[in-house]
Amino acid sequence: MDKKEDSIFDLIEGLTPVAPYQLAEFEQAMNDEVIPAIVRVVEERRLLAVESRNRQLKC
Amino acid sequence: MYTWISLRSSADLSQLASLIPSEYSPGVVAQNLASNLSNAVKAVLIERNYVDKDYRSTYYNFYAKKGQRYRADCVRLHFFDETVAFDENALQLRCSDTRLQDHYFGYMILRPTGIATIGRSILSPDVRKGASGFIITAPHKVHLLGYQLFVEGFPSMDQHIDISVCAHAACWSILRHYSERYNVYREFLTHDITMMAQQFNPGGLVPSKGLQVSHAERIFQEAGTFPVHVARDINKPNDLAFYRQMIAYVESRFPLFAAMHIRGHAVAIVGFEWRTPSTFGLPGLRYAWDEVKSLSVVDDSQLPYLSVSTQAGSTAYCALDIDAFIVALPEKIFYPADAVDRLAPALFKLGSVVGLPKQDETIIRYFITTGSALRRFARDRESEFDPKLLQTIMTLPFAQFVWVVEFATEAQWAVGQIAARAVIDATASLREVMPLWLLHSRTEALVFDRQTVNLNLSTGIRALKLVGMEQTAFTRMEQNLRTTQTK
Repeated sequence: MDKKEDSIFDLIEGLTPVAPYQLAEFEQAMNDEVIPAIVRVVEERRLLAVESRNRQLKC
Repeated sequence: MYTWISLRSSADLSQLASLIPSEYSPGVVAQNLASNLSNAVKAVLIERNYVDKDYRSTYYNFYAKKGQRYRADCVRLHFFDETVAFDENALQLRCSDTRLQDHYFGYMILRPTGIATIGRSILSPDVRKGASGFIITAPHKVHLLGYQLFVEGFPSMDQHIDISVCAHAACWSILRHYSERYNVYREFLTHDITMMAQQFNPGGLVPSKGLQVSHAERIFQEAGTFPVHVARDINKPNDLAFYRQMIAYVESRFPLFAAMHIRGHAVAIVGFEWRTPSTFGLPGLRYAWDEVKSLSVVDDSQLPYLSVSTQAGSTAYCALDIDAFIVALPEKIFYPADAVDRLAPALFKLGSVVGLPKQDETIIRYFITTGSALRRFARDRESEFDPKLLQTIMTLPFAQFVWVVEFATEAQWAVGQIAARAVIDATASLREVMPLWLLHSRTEALVFDRQTVNLNLSTGIRALKLVGMEQTAFTRMEQNLRTTQTK
């Protein structure tokens, strides 16, 4: 049986747990706003790149 | 074969016209040099019969096939300061301190093509009038008269007009920089670049009909890079996220292929200059782009390191005319700059945990670096870090590339310091809630366990109380672009 790997946290001194409520606001913002915005803007960039690809450069 | 010209003033460059055959257009070149090189250049050594690999690639594949007879060889001009002298009998270069290297400003090759004769050139930004700020450079080896010299610069050349256009020249410049800077990339000659743009050999003059951005993308892909093409709506020059990521890549030492469709023109962006830091307490969240005064570009119609303002002004074009760019990335940068641009301000939601400055008093800067470079940066500045934070940075199993986001107040920005730093996994997926390795200020850090997929928010994040960093210089991580030292 494989030896269980140490958690990365076991290798760093002084770490303490974080209360979930301290992360809740960030998590909610990521799920509700930031990730949908990222997905949308990446798709918009892809479409803009499609348009840009055919433009001619000559001078 | 060698002729030395001492320059009392730039007007003496006109001697080139009588010393170099007309097919190299020495008169036009002399005027260009007189207008655009600084007075620190006090001597030019003309090296005739120079075999230039880039010109030869076009000679073998194009010029030799023409009815008009073209020379096979080039002329190379070398630029020196006032301390260097040339002994024509001994063919020796002499300088008082025997450090010839320190008095050499680079070279320019002239092609025997009659028009657009400036070929492969590596010039020091220090002697380019108007050049300033930080420039992406690599050391280029030069063999001359048995001396081995190096010049720090970015490659440039005029387009050939008949077989290559501005976009070819921009691709060539970037790829030549890559082959000199990174040993993982091979060297591509001018003719290679024109062929890589097409699926088949178009023959004859077809490349001069122009290039589409997709062709430039293909050139970078063929060269073994992973090109990312970022465009904005050409009718929306106020797409600031576009410019923010543009400067992020340049700060990350990636030269950019930049397109200006309104002008049908392409250049390579190779540097930038910060504006004088504001001390007025400007309100609102700002980004590094807001602090940029100008970009430095390699434009095939000018000598390199042309300074291009971020605002419309008296120059032919400005940074706002750029509406698309290609960044030739290495593999393993999956998390796009657009995602970092959206994620960075969201990190203020963790401000109460970590201790970030007020959002509307902060300047955000983000860039790509390697985990190794981040560790080296921290090691070189051990005194700035709590030893536990240093241990964390040395221990976290970073992927090869990371995005770094720095948060600084206006006052900190002015002195090159920051308040906090986030380290984002460049291999993260778009939909990750916590794509971070580390977020830390001077007093607190959050450490993220990325050893398992689907981070458990209860067990996968730990806090670290930092001590002794409140008063240390908490330095902005510069990326080793070369600082121009105007001479």
